[in-house]
Order: sequence, then C-alpha cells, then structure tokens
Amino acid sequence: MAITTQHYLILSAILFTIGVIGVLIKRNPIVIFMCIELMLNAVNLSFVALGRHYGQINGQMYVIFALAVAAAEVSVGLGIIVAIFRSRETIDINEVNLMKF
Amino acid sequence: MMNTEHSLSAILPMQIVMITGMLVLLLDSCIPAWRNAKILSPGLSLIGVGIAFLSSLHILNNPPVGKLFGGAITADPFSQACSIILLITAALAILIAMTYLENMDLNHGEYYCLVLFSTSGAMIMASALDLIVLFIAVEILSVALYVLAGFARTKVRSEEAALKYFLLGAFAAGFLLYGIALIYGGSGFIGLNPTTNLAVIGKSLSMISQPPAMMIMGLGLLLVGLGFKAGLVPFHMWTPDVYEGAPTSVTAYMAAAAKIGAFAAILRVLNAFIPISGYWLIVIEVIAVLTMFGGNILALTQDNVKRMLAYSSIAHAGYLLVAVAAACNSGSKQSILQQATAHSSAFGAAAFYLLSYSLTTIGAFGVLIWLSKRGRDIQTLNDLKGLARTDPAAAYTMLIFMLSLGGIPPTMGFMGKWFIFNATMQSGQTWLALLLGVASIISIYYYLHVVWVMCFQEPEEGTHSVRAESANGVQTSIYVAVGSTLLFGILPNLVQPLMDAASSLLRP
Repeated sequence: MAITTQHYLILSAILFTIGVIGVLIKRNPIVIFMCIELMLNAVNLSFVALGRHYGQINGQMYVIFALAVAAAEVSVGLGIIVAIFRSRETIDINEVNLMKF
Repeated sequence: MMNTEHSLSAILPMQIVMITGMLVLLLDSCIPAWRNAKILSPGLSLIGVGIAFLSSLHILNNPPVGKLFGGAITADPFSQACSIILLITAALAILIAMTYLENMDLNHGEYYCLVLFSTSGAMIMASALDLIVLFIAVEILSVALYVLAGFARTKVRSEEAALKYFLLGAFAAGFLLYGIALIYGGSGFIGLNPTTNLAVIGKSLSMISQPPAMMIMGLGLLLVGLGFKAGLVPFHMWTPDVYEGAPTSVTAYMAAAAKIGAFAAILRVLNAFIPISGYWLIVIEVIAVLTMFGGNILALTQDNVKRMLAYSSIAHAGYLLVAVAAACNSGSKQSILQQATAHSSAFGAAAFYLLSYSLTTIGAFGVLIWLSKRGRDIQTLNDLKGLARTDPAAAYTMLIFMLSLGGIPPTMGFMGKWFIFNATMQSGQTWLALLLGVASIISIYYYLHVVWVMCFQEPEEGTHSVRAESANGVQTSIYVAVGSTLLFGILPNLVQPLMDAASSLLRP
C-alpha cells in the first residue's frame, strides 16, 4: 500500500487530538506544554504534507515560521514555570490556583 | 528593489513602534544613568508612539498602491484605523504604567519595550492579509503579553496569571495554526494555486457554490484560536483569572489592545469568508449572544472590581461580535445596495466601539491605579466605599467611565452601542439587535452598583486613599480618557473619518 497525502493528514489529525487530550487531562505544566508542542508539530506535519502534495514550497516555509514562533514560546513559557517554581517549590496546576470564582 | 522600499515605507508605523521598543530595551540595559532616570524610558516610548501615530495618519491619507510584500500585508484604511486606535491605547497605557510601576516598585524599562512590542504585534494583526502573517502577529502580541502578565515577579497571583495565560494562549495558538493548515489545504480545491492569502481566498470563494469541507473545518479552528484571544464565551475561562492576577496597568493595556487586535483580525478574516457565510454566520450569532449574556450575568455577582471589569470586557466582546455578525450578514431578502450599506455601517460601528471601549476600559483601570496605595492594589468594591467623599475627583471620573461602559448618554459608550444597534437593524437581524439591548440593560445593574458604593456608602474607618506622590502620568491619562469619552459621546461626528476609514473594507 502506497502512503498518500491522506495518510499524513490523518496521522497529523490523530497527533493533534492526542495533544489536545493531553492538555486537558494533565496536571503538570511541563507535560501540558509538551502536549502543546505535539499539537504544533502535528500541524507542521500537515503543512509539509500539503506543500508536497501541491508541489509548492509554501508548506515548508510555513513550518519554519511555526518552528521559530514555537521556540520563542518555549523560552518564555519555561521562564514563567521556573519563576513559579522558585517562589512556590511546586508547579502542580491544582496548587497554582489561588483565583477562583 | 523599488518594490521592497515601497513595501517597507507602507509598514512604517509598525517599524517605528518596534524599533523604539528595541531602543528602550538597549538603552535601559546598557546605560545605568538612563535606568536610574525613571522618566526616560516611558518618555522615549511615548515619542515613538507619537511618531508612529503621525506616520499612520499620513498613510491613511495617502494609501499605498499595489501589493505589499507580495500581498502578505496591506496598508488599507481599515488597518490604519485600527493602528490609530491601538497607538492611542498604547500611549494611555504607558502613561498609567508610569504611576503604577512606581507605586509597586516595579519600575523597569523592559515594561515599556514589551508594551511596544505587543502593540506592534496587534498592528500587524490588523494589517495581515496572509494567514501565516496573522499567526506570527498573534504570537508577537501574545508572547509579550505573557511576560507582562507575570511582570510582578514576586507576587504569586501575577505569576499564576502569567502561567494560565501562557498555557491557554499557546493551546489556542495550536488551534489557530491547525485552522490555517486546513484552509491552506482546502484552498487547493477551489483556486488554481493553494494559498493562505485572504484576498485571493475571498475572490475564489465568491465564484464557487460549494466550499470544500476542509476549508470550513479550518475556518472553525481559526475562529476558536481568535476567540480565545478575544475572550468570547466558550473560550473565556482565562479572562477573569488573568485580569485579576496581572498587574493593574497590564490588565488595562491587555483588555484594550488584545481585543482591538483580535477583532481587527476577526473582521478581516470573516470578511473574506462572506461568500460562504451561510455555513458560519449562525455560529457567530450564537456566540455573540452567549458572550453578551454570559459576561454580563457572571459580572453581576463579583465584588472584586478587577474581576467585574474582566467579565464586563467579555460582554463588550459580545457587543463587538454583534457588529461582526451584522457586517457579515448577507441575507437573500436584501438588495445588493442595502447589503453594502449595512456592511459599511457595521464596520464603522465596530471601529467606533473599539475606540470607545479602549478609552473607557483604560480609564476605569486608570482610576483604580490612581487610588492604589504604595505597594497595594485596589481590588474589591469595599475599597471604593464612600469614595465620593474622600476623593471626589476620582469618584466622578469613575462615574463617567461606568456610565460609558453601561451605555448611558451622553457618553461614548452610548453612541457606540447605538451605532452597533443601528447597523444590526439595517442588516435585518432585528432579534440580535433586541438581545443587544436586553444585555445592556442587565449590565447597567452592576455598573451602577459601583456608582452606588462610591456615592452612597459611608467610607470605612481609616481607609483614606493615599495618592501616589507623582500621579501625573495616570492623571493625564484619565483626563484624556474622560475628555474624549464625553466629547465623542456628544459629538460623534469627530470620529467620522476613522469610521469611514474602517468601513472602506469591501466585501469580496
């Protein structure tokens, strides 16, 4: 069986869904963050597959943009997590929750 | 080469804002004398914003011709109108931050550079014609705002706000990007060349009858992503927590700038998808109603002023979404001419409302900052008890902001709601216009509750509000906001050029 663009798109949808479920059920910000990265990379896979399917360079180019933005997000996000760990000695989402209704 | 220069000169306002941000950052970290003179960083930032404002006005009057950056960015009057509103917001936010940061001992130059970076991000959001540029712009805006939300590094609530905002914002960015990927994929079915360019997509959509399913899914995911940024109701969970936890000056800026950017992007994206509005218009209408009522009903029970203003900002996003729905309604009952009139008056109304919302919100948070004591925020309604007696100037300016947020004449908020109501009636969505009216009436209760607490309750013992030693920044900002809220409320024609500029965005 030949692997077609459709297969890539389905794989990317599955990876994206795994990422979304992970964000919703995990309690550790670092794991949540890894799930978000999984979502972004699933999208990157779609971009590359679509770009190849259409014979265009655009798809690959978008991936580079997305990667650069994700890297910037990582640096800021980890900075925030480190700052929280310094002041509380914990980063569990259930405990980092002073503000409620 | 000529073409690149032409393109670069058309995005001059954003470049000026960004370069000023970099200069502030560099000078502040390299020259100790600069850092010690607390006035220099905000001063330079204000000058940069002012020059960008003039440059934006210049571009508004002489719009550039031809494609910029291969059609990825536009400098049309709509984008310049949004940029002008954003720059006004940024200037007011810098002024109130000067006082707040000094009160809270947070006086670092990085603050101003982050405000400038996020302003430039929001300006690019308003100008992006290509979806991938829109994604990058959203991230420029958001990443700076994540840091700003956690700017009071030693306060646990501020850190918590930053973490929540960051996790949910990054989550939303994933949806936004996936939506773009699917639209890119779907556009391959309708045009000759697959693209993420909104102008091209809009044009090809108007020539087909059945859009590809992939594109509809993509648009849905894109709206989820933008809905998070704008704080629309199923995606609003972060708003109250982040607004409460973040430093008040950041909340003021974030409430205004992020909303302007997000709505500029929503308007532009949905405008391109008008030819297939049969598939999504009902979703927008339902979300608009949920957002108006959800925000207003949740705000009723709050006794924390910052939290109440957060819920009220959700409700205002709902009113703006009504304008979006009115702009995109292409009901078959109407003639082409009627549709075009409704479209342009809805865009004008949205621009007017964005300006009025930003001025009023920044002003209301500004009053809280004006009253904040050294090292302590005003948080609950109790802190405002009897304010009319202890500090009449602050109480009466707050009164005007509350009236404007509630939409009571003669303020700008009233005129804004009136324009949106009118545009919705013109586009033939009478029921939506009526629900807008009902939601506004609910909201008047909690805005007037603040007024009642300020004017008719006894001040608590020993709670004399101590003003900051140099409250010039925040005072200037509040007086500008009060003045324009009243002036534009009585003479809305003064904003007409801005509304005309915004309503010049054509249906595809």
